[in-house]
Amino acid sequence: MIEFQHVFKSYGRGRNILADVNFRIGPGEFVFVSGPSGAGKSTLLKLIGGLEPPSRGATLINGHRSDRMPARARPYLRRAVGVILQDTHLLYDRSAIQNVLLPLAVTGHSPAQSLSRARAAMEKVGLAGKEDLTPVEMSGGEQQRLAIARAIVNRPSILIADEPTANLDEDSARRIMDVFRDFNRVGVTTLIASHDRGLMAEYASRTMRIDGGRFSDTPGV
Amino acid sequence: MMIKRWLNQHRYAFVVALRRLRNQPFSSLCNILVISLSLAVPIVVAAVLDTARPVLSQIPVSAEVTLYLESSVPSGAAAKLGAELKERHTEDVESVEVITREQALAQLRSRPAWSDALAVLPDNPLPDAIVVTLRQHPEIAATSTRLSAEWNELDSVDSVQVDSTWVQRLQTLLDFLSVGLGMLALGVAIVVLATVFNTVRLQALNQREEIAIARLVGATESFVRRPFLYLGALTGLLSSALAVVVAWGALQPLNMAIHRLASSYGTELTLRLPDAVSLVLAGVVVAILGSLSARWSVYRNTHF
Repeated sequence: MIEFQHVFKSYGRGRNILADVNFRIGPGEFVFVSGPSGAGKSTLLKLIGGLEPPSRGATLINGHRSDRMPARARPYLRRAVGVILQDTHLLYDRSAIQNVLLPLAVTGHSPAQSLSRARAAMEKVGLAGKEDLTPVEMSGGEQQRLAIARAIVNRPSILIADEPTANLDEDSARRIMDVFRDFNRVGVTTLIASHDRGLMAEYASRTMRIDGGRFSDTPGV
Repeated sequence: MMIKRWLNQHRYAFVVALRRLRNQPFSSLCNILVISLSLAVPIVVAAVLDTARPVLSQIPVSAEVTLYLESSVPSGAAAKLGAELKERHTEDVESVEVITREQALAQLRSRPAWSDALAVLPDNPLPDAIVVTLRQHPEIAATSTRLSAEWNELDSVDSVQVDSTWVQRLQTLLDFLSVGLGMLALGVAIVVLATVFNTVRLQALNQREEIAIARLVGATESFVRRPFLYLGALTGLLSSALAVVVAWGALQPLNMAIHRLASSYGTELTLRLPDAVSLVLAGVVVAILGSLSARWSVYRNTHF
């Protein structure tokens, strides 16, 4: 469950990127966040992922006030939220499987258990057999799927993705979205920032729109 | 379950630290060499002190000054002069022993090597002697020098010999070395702190992306810092081990030279490394220092 109550976000003394944002997303929902570039979509996702605190207002993630969380508690929130950023943030000098193993090392899984879960995660995103490739040896779509595998390997209850299909061809974009839909079907709350109207029409059950820091919420597109 | 996870995290951090050392072999080796060479110096000094101290303790350290009187001095004058010296220098003189020329000759004759030589001499060539034992105090070397100069001016005295001042001087030198060893240890500690700090700083800058990604997937600050702490500790331990090897290597030529010198005195002397417990303890201390320095460095250099 994700809930924002009168959330504002600004950097320094600059204008509000988000202004008085209110919404509630229930468990297992599949939600698109749309809006023009610079509208605040990425900022919204960072607030949900606990990567940044709001300037004002209350943010509740799985019932916990993340805005009031001390810095040392935030990493535990991040483990419950799988994050896929626009830039995939992969380790390009490591193999694909080592990238997926990182979150499991963070949570202290044994090497054997980690390997088994990492392989399963890669299989789920269609990267079975590509464990030993480095990200530079993979296509853009495969890199995105690798980032997804890393985000889901710790079985988060929430998955957020920032423009995961940007710069991908239609087939690759569709495969990525199918992966998100599959996770959503097993109960993972999914939030995707995108301005691809075609994908929204096909996949969204609910769309939230941000423009100039203001927020509107509609079921479907 | 929690403990198992905690142990798994430590195992991961240890493996990451090893990988970081291995990924930059030349840089890692240079750092380890710098620290180990710095560590080897106090180990060699400690070896010298450890070897010299017991030997020195077996040598009589009371400063004795022997006055050899003119051969023309009548018998009985030695005893009178001895009593005068004791009375005049009560504060400095512990005891006075007079060895008459007859007693000296008798002592010499009791040694087989000398008896034949003395048999061919027409009369006793030995003078009366007064052996003055000085009181122990820190300035005993200076006192013995001053008194021997003063006594050398006496009419009845032919020559004065200070018997054991060199032992006192050697003791003073060893005391100085002990203080020096403390200073060296402090210097080495600073070298360890500075080298590990800089290594970890560069590593942290190199690993910015990995640290950022680890935080993104929920790594705590402890998780981020732990591999660096292991890196500091490993650097300290490996450097300590190499330092022992270097010090052992340095002692070999020293021992050959000392062996030749000691043989000429008919004795055996070998410089040995400090005992294993001390070396292991020193290694642990260096590892802890490395770890502390890494902690300090990583705290300062991973706030991004």
